[in-house]
Amino acid sequence: MTSAIDLAERAVAAAEGDGAEAVVQTEHSGFARFAGSEVHQPTLIENVSVFLRVIRGNRVGTAAANLVDDEGLRELALRAGEAAEASPEDPDLPALADASQLPDVDGNDGETAALGPADQARLAAEAIAGAGDIPVYGFFTSGTATVAVVTSAGFAGEQTSTDAVALALAATDGASGYAEQTSWAVRDVDPAAVAREAAELAGRTANADELAPGTYRAVLGPYAVGELLQYFAFDTFSGLALLEERSFLGGKLGERHFDEKVSIADDALDPRGLPKGFDFEGVPKQRVPLVENGVLRGAVWDSASAKRAGGSQRSTGHAAPPAFRRWGPLPFALALARGEAESVDELVELVGDGVYITRLHYLGIVEPRQGILTGMTRDGTFRIRDGKLAEPLVNLRFTVAVPEVLADVPGLTRETTLTNQAAFYDERFAYGALVPALATARFGVTGNGGPPGI
Amino acid sequence: MRALCEEAVAAALAGGASYADARAVVRRSQLVATKNRRVDQVDDIESEGIGVRVLVDGAWGFACDRRLNETGARNAAERATSFAKAAPGKHERALAPVEPVQGDYRTPREQDPIDIPLGDKIALCLTAEEAAQNSAVKVTTAFVRAMRERKVLVSSEGTAIDQDLVECGGGIEATAADGEISQIRSYPSQHGGSSAGAGWEYVLGLGLEREAPRIGEQAAALLSAPICPPATTTVVLDSDQVALQVHESTGHPTELDRIYGTEAAYAGTSFLHAGDLGSLRYGSELMNITADPTTPGGLGTFGYDDEGVPAARTPIVEAGVLTGFLTSRETAAKLGNGGGGSMRADGWSRMPLVRMTNLHLEPGEGTLDDLLADVDDGIYLETNKSWSIDDKRLNFQFGTQVAWEIKHGKRGRMLRDATYTGVTPVFWGSLDAVGGPETWVLYGLTNCGKGQPGQHAHVSHGAAPARFRNVQVGVAPS
Repeated sequence: MTSAIDLAERAVAAAEGDGAEAVVQTEHSGFARFAGSEVHQPTLIENVSVFLRVIRGNRVGTAAANLVDDEGLRELALRAGEAAEASPEDPDLPALADASQLPDVDGNDGETAALGPADQARLAAEAIAGAGDIPVYGFFTSGTATVAVVTSAGFAGEQTSTDAVALALAATDGASGYAEQTSWAVRDVDPAAVAREAAELAGRTANADELAPGTYRAVLGPYAVGELLQYFAFDTFSGLALLEERSFLGGKLGERHFDEKVSIADDALDPRGLPKGFDFEGVPKQRVPLVENGVLRGAVWDSASAKRAGGSQRSTGHAAPPAFRRWGPLPFALALARGEAESVDELVELVGDGVYITRLHYLGIVEPRQGILTGMTRDGTFRIRDGKLAEPLVNLRFTVAVPEVLADVPGLTRETTLTNQAAFYDERFAYGALVPALATARFGVTGNGGPPGI
Repeated sequence: MRALCEEAVAAALAGGASYADARAVVRRSQLVATKNRRVDQVDDIESEGIGVRVLVDGAWGFACDRRLNETGARNAAERATSFAKAAPGKHERALAPVEPVQGDYRTPREQDPIDIPLGDKIALCLTAEEAAQNSAVKVTTAFVRAMRERKVLVSSEGTAIDQDLVECGGGIEATAADGEISQIRSYPSQHGGSSAGAGWEYVLGLGLEREAPRIGEQAAALLSAPICPPATTTVVLDSDQVALQVHESTGHPTELDRIYGTEAAYAGTSFLHAGDLGSLRYGSELMNITADPTTPGGLGTFGYDDEGVPAARTPIVEAGVLTGFLTSRETAAKLGNGGGGSMRADGWSRMPLVRMTNLHLEPGEGTLDDLLADVDDGIYLETNKSWSIDDKRLNFQFGTQVAWEIKHGKRGRMLRDATYTGVTPVFWGSLDAVGGPETWVLYGLTNCGKGQPGQHAHVSHGAAPARFRNVQVGVAPS
């Protein structure tokens, strides 16, 4: 079979214009999804997608297809060319990526790539067995995704990444617990342990109480921290959002707005995450400091937003996958720096009186400029009393300004966890946030939902 | 395509499947978006492939292949069968019976939206955007989209269906900012505008250019509007927000797969139980919800769903009482009631799931002004801005782009940053007026997410403005 980079080169060669860029994404994946301790949605995917941008003068058009024979590529180039012809001139069209030295990154594991349907089913079975008597819901998935980018300006890069995710919700009527593990190497994912963690947590959530709305001190476990940070980051740390005045960073760069224990970066080179060597325009990845010791430092950029910003701003290597491209540059490798706490229990002790939150559900951005989010807690919410986890709580509605959550942070754990942030829509693109558990002095609870469980 | 599907089904049966179906799909979609009077995106995407679903000893298997040829068809069938055989545990699954059908369906259309030149689509967006400009507006966007999908379904029970579907839509958005505050207005809806299962005449009928000045002016006016104060009060929702309310708090909870727990780990479950059918009071007697895949112009309009079940209108809530679910053949058999009809997959590479088709709040009577006239003191809320609901679909909080005071039956001051919150059956129980047929609008959204791996569904909701009493408005951040 033709390699992804060969296919990208053929697509660029088929283009007629003043420049061209081809992005090829291939996917070979298996998803063993289970519910009620039974696999019910097993999905095997094989696909190749080619996205071709053709430039004529200052006009640009994009077409995509999964027909990759010569005739298919000719048709693709024709449609991209027609799209370019139909477009008005764009005087600010950024240059295509040229040849560059790419960083060496991990992220491709042979054992993970070799997993087939029988293995994926076996690993799902391990999760089901690991939960014991309590019904378990979730999935084991593994996949291999290759991204190749070729431009007529001289860039040619290909990277194959593997990923494996085990996710488990152990749940009965009135009780539930959640756990997950994500890695680019399946050896680091133990589905049985994930299910055991979820089941053990579920066992402590029955007979949950309601909580009076108000502002509480809180400990957020790593799954909750990862999702809150990812949602906050979509607008806050996007260079395009900054230009369009919908980012919290607007007018505040260089100022301290968070607790000095809070440092955030986007770092796709970190081997503890899901490493990537270059973005979807062929720009090398780099570590981008976003917050340092509470001081707001910057955002991530793609070539279009960087050109629009002007001055010395350059792309930081954050052009999004084609499916996300309308949203501009996005941070897909967030990392919140670890703290000093030896355990979550130590954070609970620091908080003294408050709430513990395992996982969030259905976040909504209420006001991006102020970083206000709403959502629900689920699958492991507890009262903290006298520095210890106390009675379980029902699912809580929260409405928080994330900058306020991060403004007073009594502590973070030393241990960090790679939390899965991908829901695997469209072409497979695994990404996650590497975060510790976090204690905050301010977390706004605004209502009560139903009890845990199904 | 039909021959390839037949080949796949035969291969699956030969591999040990007791049931198999194959869907071959060829989809072409276009998106044209402009931002700040420049082209932001011009995409023309084509995707084709085949997905094969099998039952082996009661276990499902699904596999897909992009190659629409004999090799791809057989490969998908064999892999689906092997995956089903590998599924751990014992499985027992029954499917509600469906009469095998040889049929076809074509979306009625005047102009195929894919045939409209890209240049015309760009010009429409730029013209609409231009009309939204004013000095306070910092970002304007306009977009149009078009999709054409041919879908062939063949099952081992003798069904063979060929469907030719089109849809298109568009929208405009204006964001005003003054350095501290950012406010957005959009038309005809939020969440990517609105789409319909119709030809290009739908997009032309939206009148994006006509509505653009109002959108720009309201975005600017919101910058100096006061924040909506917290209160427990009467709210009137515009038809767009009612559509979102229907989607989140009646559509998803009545999906029978959620009720049976198969979405528990991701999208969540439901506060409903299978035994609630026919007895649970969902809302007031004015609440009538219907699932109708025959609605002209709906994004969930088809001849047959992805299990080959013919489109049929199903009451979901009648006079406030739960009377129906959205079902698949499997969940209907488990319930012992109904025959499915809501199974849809996102393209060829995903397994069908229970999805909304077109889910409507049936109209009542009166105009929006009539609804407002009966409010001495309340809030009128228009166009969704933020949305969140818990995993059982009980506790929700929605925000709207704009709100107005209602004083003595009339619209008063404009308000910004309005949210309202509630608990589903309590909220619907407080429904005391629904606008009449002349106020009923069909909205189509394309971003309904569900499943793992994730799937987007395109669904429509017909809704009229509606009035609710004793609603909690406004939540202050911590």
